Amino acid sequence: MTEFLKYVTLTVIIGYVVLLIVFTSGSTKPFQEIEQGVENSIDTEKLEKSDMQALKRYYGLNAADYAGVMLYTSESSMSTEEVLLIKVKDDGQMQQLMGTVERRIESRKNDFEGYSPKQMQLLEEAQVSVRGKYLFMAISPRAEEYKAAYMKSL
Amino acid sequence: MVFSSITFLFIFLPVILVLYYIIPDKFKNVVMLSASLIFYAWGEPLYVIFLILSILFNYVCGLDIGAKQKDLRKAKLSLVFAVTVNICFLGFFKYYGFLMDSLNAVLPVNIPYRELPLPIGISIYILQAISYLVDVYRREAEPQKNILHLGLYISMFPQLTAGPIVRYIHIEEQLKRRTLSTRRFGQGAVYFITGLGKKVILANSAGNVFEHIWGLQAGHVSVLTAWIGCISFGFQIYFELSGYSDMAMGLAKMFGFEFPKNFDYPYTASSISGFWKRWHISLGNWFREYVYIPLGTGHQGRSRQVLNLLIVWMLIGFWYGDSWTFLFWGLYYGILLIMERFWWGRSMKRMPSVVRHIYTMALILIGWVFFFSPSLGAAVKYMGVMFGPGASGFIDKQAFFYVTTHWLLYLTAILGSSTAGYRGIRYIIDSFEDGRAKKAAASVIYIGIFLISIAYLVTEPSNSLLYFKF
Repeated sequence: MTEFLKYVTLTVIIGYVVLLIVFTSGSTKPFQEIEQGVENSIDTEKLEKSDMQALKRYYGLNAADYAGVMLYTSESSMSTEEVLLIKVKDDGQMQQLMGTVERRIESRKNDFEGYSPKQMQLLEEAQVSVRGKYLFMAISPRAEEYKAAYMKSL
Repeated sequence: MVFSSITFLFIFLPVILVLYYIIPDKFKNVVMLSASLIFYAWGEPLYVIFLILSILFNYVCGLDIGAKQKDLRKAKLSLVFAVTVNICFLGFFKYYGFLMDSLNAVLPVNIPYRELPLPIGISIYILQAISYLVDVYRREAEPQKNILHLGLYISMFPQLTAGPIVRYIHIEEQLKRRTLSTRRFGQGAVYFITGLGKKVILANSAGNVFEHIWGLQAGHVSVLTAWIGCISFGFQIYFELSGYSDMAMGLAKMFGFEFPKNFDYPYTASSISGFWKRWHISLGNWFREYVYIPLGTGHQGRSRQVLNLLIVWMLIGFWYGDSWTFLFWGLYYGILLIMERFWWGRSMKRMPSVVRHIYTMALILIGWVFFFSPSLGAAVKYMGVMFGPGASGFIDKQAFFYVTTHWLLYLTAILGSSTAGYRGIRYIIDSFEDGRAKKAAASVIYIGIFLISIAYLVTEPSNSLLYFKF
């Protein structure tokens, strides 16, 4: 019985790993290729590409610590729209990065709470995705569209 | 979730402790296992299912090995199957990317692949699962019929992410019954706070200095600055790893378990073999018990012993990380240990202890360069700065700045990495004659360390864990 059960369990594990590969794995494509895929979909009338100083200012992160960074922010201070794409250098960075992104969204919620329900809704519906060494975040009415472009580019 | 986080310290741990202490004994393992899975799922919501499946697989395999004990050949085949599957999963998650990158580096075409993040703690819990299976095969332990107990052994949250790697036979009895007492809880709290202080105050601060020096532009680094960088990394990794082990031991004590010591002041060693008897003791013991001894060392000739040592140290290096630098780091220690054992070990004993200590520390620091460098080329380049050819000079303003602004950190780190720090605390406590005064002094010291650690946690955003890479 145990002989049979161990093969069944192994089959289930292999099946689960296959699911992980299909649905959660990242890509080994160069960062620029993924970045290009996302940038092509971005509404540049509302969002502008920010320099790495903005990454430090808004997230407290140093761009040099990562394998690749792309950040788009809104030109208007009244808008929460933001798109972030980061490729970490090693897996150890991802946990910390996820916490940083969550804190950024929470901080923006505190800024706009009781003041702009529309922006609050965007923040509530923010798209965050981790695939392998890539972290993607979008706060925008078109967040789902940006995320789809990101997933396609992987 | 990491131990050195506000969420763990002020929400997770107090809730679990209260729950654990108020429920009847027969439900304590249920609480502990549930807490461990929640702890793991906090950071790895998808991989917790892999962890549960892994527990299930090893549970069934343990029973299978036990059922075939009457026919040793069948039992051995069952063990080989189970161990191979465990190693394949570890290999897939940890080394698949490295293998593909290495292949792509030599092949004329680039093979694209989908990479998965490394499940946290997989390097620890797979080794523990193998320990269980081998102990059952050797009849040193009974196959665990209670999946709750085995699940707890493999996934117990105090040691799930960073060890120590506990051998199954050492904890088998504790899984069934253990004693809780205020004394043990107090000891656990002291261990935990000491570890927290090591990680948050010393490791993070030393890590900041190292990161800063590592980020300096090539050609603008003096010899002294490069050595300060290397020493800072040495302190960072020691205080981070030993701090996390202390926290694990402390938490285990609070929950009634006893974990073996994992670090024993390794920087006080006066030989490389002495260093490895004190550094990551549980990992060394695991490799000795489950790899080195089965390879047949002790009854073989010198050349076979040398080969076996090289194999074991290459594997230890590879356990730490999935790159050529870690492989080289492991081989570097393998070669040094072979040299000490067969060549200069005896003559070393005749040298003054100061000379032996300088020899040991210099070799350890050179080893850390391979450990922290992303490639062998970068390691050679950094060493070029440490020894002069690539440096901007012997000493510069930067080196002077680091020494004058961080002298207190280094002084504390030196005391903390030697027995002097512990003896100093004991001296202060023992200087009071009255038992109550002693307790009060100890409370002031450890609550002080705890509060300073919290202050660092609140103000210092960087609190990553090197263990997540392993």
